[in-house]
Amino acid sequence: MNANEFDVIIIGGGITGAGTQRDCAMRGLRTLLIERSDIATGATGRNHGLLHSGARYAVNDPESAEECIKENMILRRIAAHCIDETDGLFITLPEDDLAYQQTFVDACRRAGIGAEIIDPELARRMEPSVNPDLIGAVKVPDGSVDPFRLCAANMLDAKLRGGQVRLHTEVTGFIKEGNTIKGVHTVNRQTGEKADYYAPVTVNACGIWGQHIAELAGVKVGMFPAKGALLIFAHRVNNVVINRCRKPANADILVPGDTVCVIGTTSTRIPFEECDHVAVTPDEVTLLITEGAKLAPSLSSTRILRAYAGVRPLVSADDDPSGRNISRGIVCLDHETRDGLKGFITITGGKLMTYRLMAEIATDAVCRKLAIEKACETADIPLPGSEEKSYEAVAQKIWEAPTTAQKAAASRMGTRASRIRTGNKRDDALICECEEVSVGEINAAIDRLEVSTLTDLRRRTRVGMGTCQGEFCACRAAGLLAKAHGCIERERKDLEDFLQERWKGNFPIGWGDTLREAEYTQWVYKHVLGL
Amino acid sequence: MKLQEYTESKHNFEECMKCTVCTAYCPVLQANPLYPGPKQAGPDGERLRLKDPYFFNQALKYCLNCKRCEVACPSGVNVADLIQSARIKYDHTPPKLRDVMLANTDFMGKLARPFAPIVNGVTGLGITKTVLDATLKIDHHRTFPKYSGTSFEGWLKRHRKEQAAFPEQVAYFHGCYVNYNYPQLGKDLVKVLNALGVGVQLLEKEKCCGIALIANGMSAQARKHAEHNVEQLRQAVTGKGLKVVTTSSTCTLTMREEYPNLLGVDNADVRESLLLATRFIYEKLEKGAQLKFKPGYHKKVAYHTPCHLEKMGWGIFSQKLLQMIPGVEFTLLDSNCCGISGTYGFKKENYEVSQAIGEPLFAQIRSVNPEVVACDCETCKWQIEMSTGYTVMNPISILAEAIES
Amino acid sequence: MKFDTVIIGGGLAGMVAGITLEKAGKKTAIISTGQNALHFFSGSFESLQEPEQRIVDLFSEAGVRLHYSPGVRLMPLGTFRESALALEDIDIFPSAQFARKVLIVNFLGYHDFFSSFLADGLEKQGMSCRVRFLNLPEMEKLEQSPSEMRSVQIARTMDRVWEKVVQEVRVLLKDEDTVVLPQVFGLQDMSVPGRIRQGIPARVVFAGTLPPSVPGLRTQILLKQRYQLLGGTYFMGDEVVRAHMHDGVVHSVATKNLDNHYIEGDHFILATGGYFSKGLVSNPFQVFEPVFGLDVEYNEDRNAWYNPAFKEDQPYMHFGVKADENLHALKDGQPVENLYVAGSVLGNNRPEFGTAAGKAVRTALKAADEILKV
Repeated sequence: MNANEFDVIIIGGGITGAGTQRDCAMRGLRTLLIERSDIATGATGRNHGLLHSGARYAVNDPESAEECIKENMILRRIAAHCIDETDGLFITLPEDDLAYQQTFVDACRRAGIGAEIIDPELARRMEPSVNPDLIGAVKVPDGSVDPFRLCAANMLDAKLRGGQVRLHTEVTGFIKEGNTIKGVHTVNRQTGEKADYYAPVTVNACGIWGQHIAELAGVKVGMFPAKGALLIFAHRVNNVVINRCRKPANADILVPGDTVCVIGTTSTRIPFEECDHVAVTPDEVTLLITEGAKLAPSLSSTRILRAYAGVRPLVSADDDPSGRNISRGIVCLDHETRDGLKGFITITGGKLMTYRLMAEIATDAVCRKLAIEKACETADIPLPGSEEKSYEAVAQKIWEAPTTAQKAAASRMGTRASRIRTGNKRDDALICECEEVSVGEINAAIDRLEVSTLTDLRRRTRVGMGTCQGEFCACRAAGLLAKAHGCIERERKDLEDFLQERWKGNFPIGWGDTLREAEYTQWVYKHVLGL
Repeated sequence: MKLQEYTESKHNFEECMKCTVCTAYCPVLQANPLYPGPKQAGPDGERLRLKDPYFFNQALKYCLNCKRCEVACPSGVNVADLIQSARIKYDHTPPKLRDVMLANTDFMGKLARPFAPIVNGVTGLGITKTVLDATLKIDHHRTFPKYSGTSFEGWLKRHRKEQAAFPEQVAYFHGCYVNYNYPQLGKDLVKVLNALGVGVQLLEKEKCCGIALIANGMSAQARKHAEHNVEQLRQAVTGKGLKVVTTSSTCTLTMREEYPNLLGVDNADVRESLLLATRFIYEKLEKGAQLKFKPGYHKKVAYHTPCHLEKMGWGIFSQKLLQMIPGVEFTLLDSNCCGISGTYGFKKENYEVSQAIGEPLFAQIRSVNPEVVACDCETCKWQIEMSTGYTVMNPISILAEAIES
Repeated sequence: MKFDTVIIGGGLAGMVAGITLEKAGKKTAIISTGQNALHFFSGSFESLQEPEQRIVDLFSEAGVRLHYSPGVRLMPLGTFRESALALEDIDIFPSAQFARKVLIVNFLGYHDFFSSFLADGLEKQGMSCRVRFLNLPEMEKLEQSPSEMRSVQIARTMDRVWEKVVQEVRVLLKDEDTVVLPQVFGLQDMSVPGRIRQGIPARVVFAGTLPPSVPGLRTQILLKQRYQLLGGTYFMGDEVVRAHMHDGVVHSVATKNLDNHYIEGDHFILATGGYFSKGLVSNPFQVFEPVFGLDVEYNEDRNAWYNPAFKEDQPYMHFGVKADENLHALKDGQPVENLYVAGSVLGNNRPEFGTAAGKAVRTALKAADEILKV
């Protein structure tokens, strides 16, 4: 057996790809995941991180709502360390129609979502930051989910089951024999190294970029890119998800996530060519702050950490080339039946919430092609790290008297935190003080989680995600990466890229304390350190 | 409404730029590696505590609340307030008996004063110290401040009539120390103020400012003291139109700053009328009042700015007053913490850290070799006297000594 | 309280102005919100190419020795930057090829000194490098705290145990002609860097670390001491909240700590720094000067404040308070005759002053000179 041969190749390191790889690996397949940049760099890492209860879709899209609540309950079981069971509120403000509340609750109940009308006063106590003017509130089982952690855990589980991963590797073309896809040509974007990989089935799980991959394979998948912009605030203003109880609109969800909270989103149709270069405009920033402050008034005086935008992978229905009939549902295309192209499957549409179901559908399709009859188990077996329900329990089990950094590590890694080398003061030393990331945690990520750049490291550990946005930790972490990879020149460039990436999210909201921090970062890196 | 136009975040901890300057000025960090430091304990920790109170760190108790981090912070972050507020909000461990005893300075004072000679004799005994050390974990190196046989309140009440005869009046918040341990300081203040034509009266009924209660985790009790004292101040300030003076920098800071910032007790209507006596006297002299100094007075004085006065920025008034006295040879000591921080240094577990923190100050005092060290804080006085053997006097007492009676 | 000149801002510009005025017999006060940008000082005055002797003297009287020798200095990430005037312990080399064989010594567990980047940078210049780590038992206490292996804390330890470093380096040293050490020496005891140089039989170069900067902190301590010894009054940790102006001149300022006790002055110098120090404040709509509401030069279109590329020059960093030729601040287009502007709060449209540290010193001297002329 050739080292470059697999049972299935999955293109795309988003949550769908990583989830599909895990599912395939659990069904006994030899898997390879290929991603042109890092895991969770597309829509996976560029959304709210909302663990939807499905309530948002209950009125207009009952099918999605039902999918959401089912997956919501599954993720609570299998992905405990990626999930924060915060609950959510759908609030009615004086300018909203209170009559909608009943329509909404009825629809939720039909979809199986536990929605409960509560007294506005109770809502204010439940979430002190909520707009005190609210006239109605419904409590739903929303939560928050860390998409980076979820994606990494899926990838890690696939690896633990023998799967292989090639990050920063781009598919440049397909190896075709007649009307059958036999494998892919790739190039490593960091080293320029080229490689071919072979498998009887290839899964296109590239989200919005799936259109391009399909084109390379010679088939057409019509995507309709819709940009959504979001803002991250510098601390956790709310501990309960806040939504508006009305027809879904712009900037009407505020989600607490780890040490921050996120307001979003907008929706703007963009040309496909812009997918790689989405930027947040000043108008979007204004809209997000204005609407956000209606959910939680203190947002108008809270420091904003970053602005970012993602592109939703919406798919046009096959029979409607105009794109008017767009589905937000899951789309799985077997190109053999659809286009006569064998060995190629596209899985797209859907949402972060339903990634596991998408992976199950895609894996079922793969298994049918390979004539494998093993049933899906991803709804039952916890992801690595999620074997315990709470991080308090995890921390207490590993360390008798956990330090702040150890508590933080347990909250990020779940039971995998036991892998952190610890008990040695040098491993316990802090690299990132804002988010409490130790040398040991960083080295654990470098060892097991496919880290090649500082930005990759950030997605695995939260290094540089805190208030200072990497001002102090970036160069410390660069030292550790340089040691791990043995290449200073590459690390120097990496450090520049990292700072550029941080600045990209800072300048659209560059005023007040954010601008002060930016000036200080400029000063430290350019004038003090001499980058 | 123009959103985000208020560039200073309402959430003060977000103004932290992570520059780490505060850590360079934290006296505890240099002496105790178990303390996470002001940045980690303050603004960094706050974000985590908002995520989950589970991230509250018991090591915050090592903070002295000296507020040097706040003085140093270029961003105006109330670092020490964040730390103390977190302790109030999240630390629910009941205080130890020892801490309750140390914290209730006025109660202990009331109890001990009538038996002053006996109590002083007993607490000074080696055997008592050993017992206190072993049972209550009060460090045996410490000597309890002696209790005075007559209280200051008693003394001033006896002189009420002559004080009332002065054309101008102030109220005096004397605090526990002057009342129970060292009435002489109160008498010195009366002498100086009388020389300026100002008579002194008591508040109707003051209670301990409560700083030791806050420091020892008894914030509910502290809040009661605060509410009581603010009401008392209000009677004097708005009721009688008086200014209220103090001779303790810590009582002053507590009532002006900690009441609203830590205990949530509004003092806005009385805050600006509550002054350290040196500021009150300086302002009087600036406006033309005169003090008559003894001819031939000479004293070599080294002035130590207590942490809480450094935070208030009022050390300047005490310094300028001392420099005004003919015959005073004045040295301003570098601004360093003495390490005692009220009841902190009395605790056995803090003794070594406390002495290590104070060492730079002690070394400088020894090298200056003054006749007396001047300082506006009673607990600094105990610490410096115990650690260096030099006598410490409140600037008011030096002033009283230097003027004609 | 009344002074001849009240200086708002206690950084490099404020202290240089204060020292100059005190030396001329004036009674001055400095009001400083907290510590200042000297804590991030690289140790080099990039833009002071030909220093006036009075600048060198002013620093040296405070115990801060400067040296002037145009060339390049070594940056912490292994690059080189042009320099001419610097603190005594910051080396300036005629060229980047300043050595043949270099021993770079770091402390084990210290992540704020970039020894591998330094080695890479020096090797690019044709030098051969060896990196070694010291493991001193004296550092154990520091290392017990996960966040305190930082420059200032190490420097405090080094003030006591620097001789151990000399001994250890002597053991490590083979045939290297140069030793590179982190700038963590001589915080309280200024003689330490010089004594380390004497003790090690090779050229010793001190390379920078992540802030706080130990040489910068030392400069701050010495300048402040000098200012206070001259009789200056330094209000540390206080903030001017309001200015009182009548008929176009400033009479007094109110501060947070002194509430209704105003600080009066004949002259005022505004040296409050840039955004970091809140000398300039920004919101989504404007950049403004918060104390006096002075005229600020900035672009009204927020999009024009930034260059999307981090490494490029950032337009917002050039914004600042407008001033006339003699550094009088402008308010509503008119110069305020007793208010001068110095340092980073001043817009960068005056290239003759240079940038940052150099600009702080030059504008502070000029403001002081203008006041002394009156």
